[in-house]
Amino acid sequence: MALLEVEDLEVRYRTAAGEAQAVSSISFAIEKGMCLGLVGESGCGKSTVAKAILGILPPAGRIAGGTIRYDGRDLVGMTPAELRRIRWQHIALVPQSAMNGLDPVYTVESQLHEAITAHQRMPTAQRRRRIAELFALVGLEPGRVRDYPHQFSGGMRQRAMIAMAMVLDPPLIVADEPTTGLDVLVQDQILQQIRQLHDQFGKAMLLITHDMAVVAENCDRIAVMYAGRIMEYGGEAVFRMPYHPYTLGLCNAFPDIADRGRALISIPGTPPNLVAPPVGCRFHARCPFATSLCADTVPPLAQVAPGHVVACHHVDQAERFRERAADPATWRNETPGP
Amino acid sequence: MAIRGAGWKCSADGRPPRMTNLLYAALRRVLLFAVTVWCILTIMFALFKLLPGDPTAIFLDNNMSMEMIAHQKQLWGLNDPWWLQYLHYIGNMATLRFGDSFFQNQPVSEILLEKVENTCAMIVPALVVSVVAGTILGALAGWKRGSRFEQATVTTSLVLHSAPSFFVGILVLMVFSYQLRWLPPGGMVSLGGPDRFWAMITSRDYLQHLILPGLVLVSREITGPILLVRSSMLEIKGSDFIDILRAKGLTEPRILTHAIRNALLPLVTYIAVMTGLLLQGQVLLEIIFAWPGIGRELVNALGDLDYPVAQGALFVMALVILLLNLLADMLYGLIDPRSR
Amino acid sequence: MAFRQALQGLRVILRYPSGTAGLVLVALFSVIAVIGPLIAPHGPFEVVYRADHSVLRLSPPTWRALFGTTNQGMDVFSQLLWGTRVAMLVGLLSAIGSVVLGTVVGLVAGYFGGWIDEVLMRLTDVAFGIPFLPFAMVVISITHPSLGLVILLVVFFLWRTTARVIRAQVLSLRARPFVWAARAAGAGHLRILLHHITPNVLPLSFLYAAIGVQAGVMLEAALSFLGYGDPNAMSWGTMLNAAFQAGAMRTAWWWVLPPGVALSLFVVAIFMITRAYEELLNPRLRVL
Repeated sequence: MALLEVEDLEVRYRTAAGEAQAVSSISFAIEKGMCLGLVGESGCGKSTVAKAILGILPPAGRIAGGTIRYDGRDLVGMTPAELRRIRWQHIALVPQSAMNGLDPVYTVESQLHEAITAHQRMPTAQRRRRIAELFALVGLEPGRVRDYPHQFSGGMRQRAMIAMAMVLDPPLIVADEPTTGLDVLVQDQILQQIRQLHDQFGKAMLLITHDMAVVAENCDRIAVMYAGRIMEYGGEAVFRMPYHPYTLGLCNAFPDIADRGRALISIPGTPPNLVAPPVGCRFHARCPFATSLCADTVPPLAQVAPGHVVACHHVDQAERFRERAADPATWRNETPGP
Repeated sequence: MAIRGAGWKCSADGRPPRMTNLLYAALRRVLLFAVTVWCILTIMFALFKLLPGDPTAIFLDNNMSMEMIAHQKQLWGLNDPWWLQYLHYIGNMATLRFGDSFFQNQPVSEILLEKVENTCAMIVPALVVSVVAGTILGALAGWKRGSRFEQATVTTSLVLHSAPSFFVGILVLMVFSYQLRWLPPGGMVSLGGPDRFWAMITSRDYLQHLILPGLVLVSREITGPILLVRSSMLEIKGSDFIDILRAKGLTEPRILTHAIRNALLPLVTYIAVMTGLLLQGQVLLEIIFAWPGIGRELVNALGDLDYPVAQGALFVMALVILLLNLLADMLYGLIDPRSR
Repeated sequence: MAFRQALQGLRVILRYPSGTAGLVLVALFSVIAVIGPLIAPHGPFEVVYRADHSVLRLSPPTWRALFGTTNQGMDVFSQLLWGTRVAMLVGLLSAIGSVVLGTVVGLVAGYFGGWIDEVLMRLTDVAFGIPFLPFAMVVISITHPSLGLVILLVVFFLWRTTARVIRAQVLSLRARPFVWAARAAGAGHLRILLHHITPNVLPLSFLYAAIGVQAGVMLEAALSFLGYGDPNAMSWGTMLNAAFQAGAMRTAWWWVLPPGVALSLFVVAIFMITRAYEELLNPRLRVL
């Protein structure tokens, strides 16, 4: 049984314009010790998935359907008390680095202590030892533990957040854009830190990012999200041999240092309005290979290889798509359809 | 206030020491306070020198000889050149030596002390109630966003906040005192009651007299904290760290405590400002309710042209406001770690 | 451009029932301020006589005097109408004065910073330390009570808050990229101030102008109530003062209520408008 099983998750947001279908029919599973990368552009709903799992959706959001099973128990519909017991002890969150995840008027130490005492009885001395241990683990000076959050740099704050996530040794860690907003060197350090959590401590992880390269380096399985739906889901093959046009577009958009001659190709257009989402495939408006079928019908999840599914009507033409996707002209709509 | 030019001395591990920065900041604020007081004193000196009427003319009998008049003038230092008078003035005022009242046979400082005590007897209870109750109500209103409680609280607060409190005072007097005769029409205590301050304020009589003006005061002053804490709370509710607190599995009351702790920061500065404004409205309420406080004393003194008292009263009021601002500044530095 | 912003602001305020109510009331008062004295049956100091030529003193509302008369036989209704004009005048003039002064000071202090900022801020600190009513009473004692003086005093009192707020806004604007861009493009200080910063600061200025009207009317009423108002101008505060001095609080409710209620309505109405506007500027304040 998987550690975390999300099935047909549906999250809606109340907005001034109506109800937005932020997340629709999302399904994935994370086994013990596995790292799943959730990739997609800004606004595709990946953070919403993280928040839904932790149960911290904003007041305007609600889970409209589906299940989130942790260790067999459905988190959707749990009482607040039950949810509280699961939080942090079993599933911890490393938030976006741009977030001010720490309360500015309390010391970092007190907030770490708080994380522990909310769930376990641990004598103070033992708590202090654990915190010092974790600080050392993430590369922070133990002496800084009594400082206030504003005295830490961005990278240090993020490390503190990682330390805090580890404090109860949870089996599953959700990292939501952990490196956004940090400069490149620091990004690398933080990613190493996170990889260590996975490799050395065998933590299961849900790594959420918009950066394909990060996911390629760190994750066992990858899910590509667009406009609230999963477009492609599989292992390494997802980016070695992508099937879905959107995945192709994503791969194109990231520079490859080994292939400096390749031009960066971006996908023209903008994501659809989720209050009135497209009837068929949500990507069809920006897809250079879209047909009328794509506009009318939601593509089923087609299995192209064991453990590799794609939400596209035209998976049989993937080979051709891969060729054509490398040509910038395709994305500029200069050559007619598929 | 920015700590400008404060060079941060770093200790061995590269971090700035906290104590000396706090001290420096505190000293700077006290210095600023002193300068401001001096400015105000100077303005007041100029003002009172320009007031009409020769103060001596009122008391000095026409029967007094020219010598005696000259002698009195000498006593009051009215013959000295203006700059000498100024220096004496600053010296006296700064040490709170206000001289003697022209009319009442008492030193001004004694009179003022009594009046200040009386004013406090009205303000302090009202303030305490307003701040405590206001903070709680405001925090709840902000936390329970979108509820009917919030709507009702906000609307009522808005109306009460803007309505002219002196008219509310008049209305309340008219209804409860004159028409219904439930409560006394004014004054702080009835005649014939205890004389000593502490005995007075613990008497039931005082409480009866306090109800109406206290009510009017609270009804207006409570709105400030309510609205402020509410908007503070709303901002904080949307903060990232609140999400993390919830993700950490903390209980709602604990999260609320975190939120309130953050929401209190603007309240501290507000209290200083609030009290300053309060002191002004005080004058009106003291007149309406015939409360023998410092505001009423100032009005009477100005009417009687009793300059020492008027000066003293004005200065004391300004001093209190400035002291409170200073206090709030310092407190803020203590509570908000970011400002250090 | 300022007008366009004002119109937009208007549209938003109308979305709130409280703001709309406020606007309606203020419009009503404005109309009365203009035509009031024209339709008033008597002058503000005119004595009302009965048919038998005796003075109609302290009379409750009758047909001859809709809101009754004062102890000197003056028509309360007429006084109320005349008083509306005074209120509007004081409100508008003090608002304009204080906002102009406050905005200029705030702009200069915030934009130029350095010692100019320090000096100006120390000035505002001193101004903040002076309690308005006591100070105003002393000043009026020295000179002659007049409406102009009151307006001047109110401006002196109000500019400091506006200055502080505008300065804070300018400080945050100054750090924004579009200002750097303008400097890099070679724009001079004055141009940046006028072209880039001032338009962004104007909404806040409007807000404080509205607050200024409310404060101005309140402060004038307070001063007049204490007896320091202009004896030649019949304002609502003066009416209340007269009633209070005559000991009419106990009996002549018709004399006390109209000016008090008018004052309260006016002030609350303006406050509702400013509040609606504030919620526009800071959406989080809204009650959902």
